[in-house]
Amino acid sequence: MPSVIVRLALSVFLLTARGVQPARADLGTAPLRIVVSNYPLAYFAERIGGSRVQVTLPVPAGADPAFWKPDAKAVGLMQKADLIALNGAGFEKWLVHVSLPKLKQVDTAEGFHDRYIHIDNAVTHSHGPGGTHSHGGTAFTTWLDFEQAARQAETLAQAMMRKRPEFTASFSENLAALNADLKALDSDARRILGGRTDEPLLASHPVYQYLARRYGLKLESIHWEPDEMPAAAEWEALAKLLAGHPAKTMLWEAEPSAAIAARLKTLGVAAVAFEPAANRPESGDFLGVMKQNLERFGRIR
Amino acid sequence: MLNHDFYLAWRYLSFHKTRSAILIACLSLMAFLPLGLHALLDDGERQMSGRAAATPLLVGAKGSSVDLTLTALYFSEAAAPAITLAEADLVGASGWADPLPLYSRFRIKGQPLVGVTLDYFDYRRLAPARGELPALLGDCVLGHEAAAALGLEPGDSLATTPENLFDLAGVYPLKLHVTGVLAQSGSPDDQAVFVDLKTTWVIEGLGHGHDQQTPAARHQSLPFAQAAAQLQVDARLVTYTEITAANIDSFHFHGDPAGYPISAVIALPHDRRGATLLKGRYLADDGTTQIIEPAIVTHGLLHNIFRIGALFDGILVLVGATTLLALGLVFSLSLRLRRRELETIFLLGCSRATVFKLVVAELALLGLASAILSGALLLAVDHYGESWIRQFLLS
Amino acid sequence: MITIDRLRFRYPGTPFSLDIPELHVATGERLAIVGPSGTGKTTLLKLIAGILAPAAGTIHVDGTRLETLGDADRRNFRIARIGFVFQELELLEYLTVLDNILHTYRINPVLRLDRRVRERARRLAQEVGLGDQIGRMPRELSQGERQRAAVCRALLTEPALILADEATGNLDPANKLRILELLFRATARRQTSLVAVTHDHELLPRFDRVVDFRGYHG
Repeated sequence: MPSVIVRLALSVFLLTARGVQPARADLGTAPLRIVVSNYPLAYFAERIGGSRVQVTLPVPAGADPAFWKPDAKAVGLMQKADLIALNGAGFEKWLVHVSLPKLKQVDTAEGFHDRYIHIDNAVTHSHGPGGTHSHGGTAFTTWLDFEQAARQAETLAQAMMRKRPEFTASFSENLAALNADLKALDSDARRILGGRTDEPLLASHPVYQYLARRYGLKLESIHWEPDEMPAAAEWEALAKLLAGHPAKTMLWEAEPSAAIAARLKTLGVAAVAFEPAANRPESGDFLGVMKQNLERFGRIR
Repeated sequence: MLNHDFYLAWRYLSFHKTRSAILIACLSLMAFLPLGLHALLDDGERQMSGRAAATPLLVGAKGSSVDLTLTALYFSEAAAPAITLAEADLVGASGWADPLPLYSRFRIKGQPLVGVTLDYFDYRRLAPARGELPALLGDCVLGHEAAAALGLEPGDSLATTPENLFDLAGVYPLKLHVTGVLAQSGSPDDQAVFVDLKTTWVIEGLGHGHDQQTPAARHQSLPFAQAAAQLQVDARLVTYTEITAANIDSFHFHGDPAGYPISAVIALPHDRRGATLLKGRYLADDGTTQIIEPAIVTHGLLHNIFRIGALFDGILVLVGATTLLALGLVFSLSLRLRRRELETIFLLGCSRATVFKLVVAELALLGLASAILSGALLLAVDHYGESWIRQFLLS
Repeated sequence: MITIDRLRFRYPGTPFSLDIPELHVATGERLAIVGPSGTGKTTLLKLIAGILAPAAGTIHVDGTRLETLGDADRRNFRIARIGFVFQELELLEYLTVLDNILHTYRINPVLRLDRRVRERARRLAQEVGLGDQIGRMPRELSQGERQRAAVCRALLTEPALILADEATGNLDPANKLRILELLFRATARRQTSLVAVTHDHELLPRFDRVVDFRGYHG
């Protein structure tokens, strides 16, 4: 008799347990998990998705996403995302070394791959925050051309809508607002930068190619770091460069050290920070950072 | 009296162990063979149909559709000719279907080595039971049975070897890192060692890493870039056999990846219209690729198997009838040999009816033992049939 | 016990015939039947047992007229009243000594094998000196031990009549005597009649009466 009761109880328990299985998570209400490879994409995803997305930029704060390499743990995190947003144009040099689901990836710059800028004679640094690195191959700061940035945002939005078609209306509305902001930014840039297309300019790093092309800047790049005083030979090389390209303004990814700025001033070159914002800024957002960049540039005459 | 009949029958059969064992074996085989064979065929049909149904469309080299199906679905050793990654790109670019390229050319210690993109695991609903999916170049994840056969766990290493005698020069021996073991799926995926598609290309020799590069020619090797200028490499160049955190950055590929080899593309159409449009693209006779529906190919294959099965049935009926006749002869001869015993028991008062019951009891016990043995054999088929089918029929 | 009157028997298709004007065996009597081979001694035993039916004449055994009974009744009569110790009735090789002794009870639905019967079987085995052998198989026993087991089998049903056909045929002299003494002791205890066909002339003086079977056959 007791064994019958035990069997009966077990059956009831099992039947009940099946019935109270936690309901499978409704895909439609769970936030869309997006992993991005740089901050501009994070900004676009957050603007387009709002509260319906959970955006992760796995690059540590302060690191340069263009030269960051994910370890196995970071790759594992990316694998579990619903959408992997890539900049494209060779930005993610680590892509060939990792395993990521192809169908979850969106190359946001693929739509204008015929307009990538290729760098033929790149020079390799032997110093810099991450050690040796090079800017060879394809220029990858595509978002500094704000019209391209809008196209990247559009490509990203479409990928998000494919993943969550029930939010198409919301994503579209947010995209329109973002595009309006990017369009206004593009107008500001054309106004501020476009008026100085005859002016020779310098760049401390070869990361402003798309900015230069879009806004008609005569930009020559060298390879200097904001906190590392260049060697004498490099100052000499700069002087030679200035002889043929008499620039009065030099764009920097971050404010150079006072010593560098002072020395540049002796050469008649003003240093102005123009942050590419590849990683999340300490304060503000992408739009704010770009507006500040343009304002700073506009103030230099 | 019934218990006396069975008691005497049991004593007789257990005294004549060899004779009884032979009779039981014959009867068991007679019962088991048709049932077991049909169970195996049913298992085979179920496996093949299930696997094929889960693979809507397959793009591969023109030629035998059976070879293509066996290569892509069952990772068979008789590999179909390769196609290029461009075919997967075409499928994806069409907008009608999602592509899952796979490359199953190699074998590693008897297990198929299959290069896939991570989407394959999502599609086949394969998840790690232990460890993780591959994350970096050189990682691998093992199917449930592959892990058992190779005796490996996450954290272990597994070396590829140039096993293909026809392609010694092209194969790049590589030490793979086992990152995980997949949960059992009851499919050919259990047998496989899975790596990222790019890792199979490293094994193929299409990608490699270097120890040092000379400063004069130092420029970052671009992933999949058109190699306009080869790297100037040191004469003391070392091509790596293990991809580690220290050397992974040096690994690169030459040439256009669209030209890299794959075995097939599993195409997942978005809808029926997409499937029709995609199939229509491959109708041209002059193309080098074909698109097939594995369910149709499998159906044809099974049809042939069933015809063989029907032939087996006919043969088994004949064999069974012959065996029964032989057994009947053995039994009647046995009774003749027991003449003295029968005379004794007649004299002791045994009726013909009782003698008949004694014989029936012996037959009943033999039948029961045969039923138990053939039942045990059928249970074994039920338990191991799936893996036997995969090993002997599908690999 | 046995009364035979003008008994005639013939095997169909053979010239052999048996013709017995009369034969009496008293209750408890030990009768020996002698004669050359082929004279019908074994046939007589089978007629008395009811295994064969006479062509003419009557056979009364223990008050029952056998020739009037059907096959089943004759068989039941045989099971209940007659024990057999025939030379060719070997033990069954696949049964233990005890199972052989009990065998009659297993193959006859009219007999009930219960604890009493098993105890009686063990006692009989003990009496004939096989008490320690009941678990053995016949091939492990000597010829004499096997014959003693056969005697136990015959005595287990407590028959009114024992029919023995060359029961001591292939035994050595010591064992012959031993078997005969077993039979005599058992028959004496229950006033069981014994009709034994034998070629062993040295045993004849021990019987109550000897019948020479020459002349009974044709």
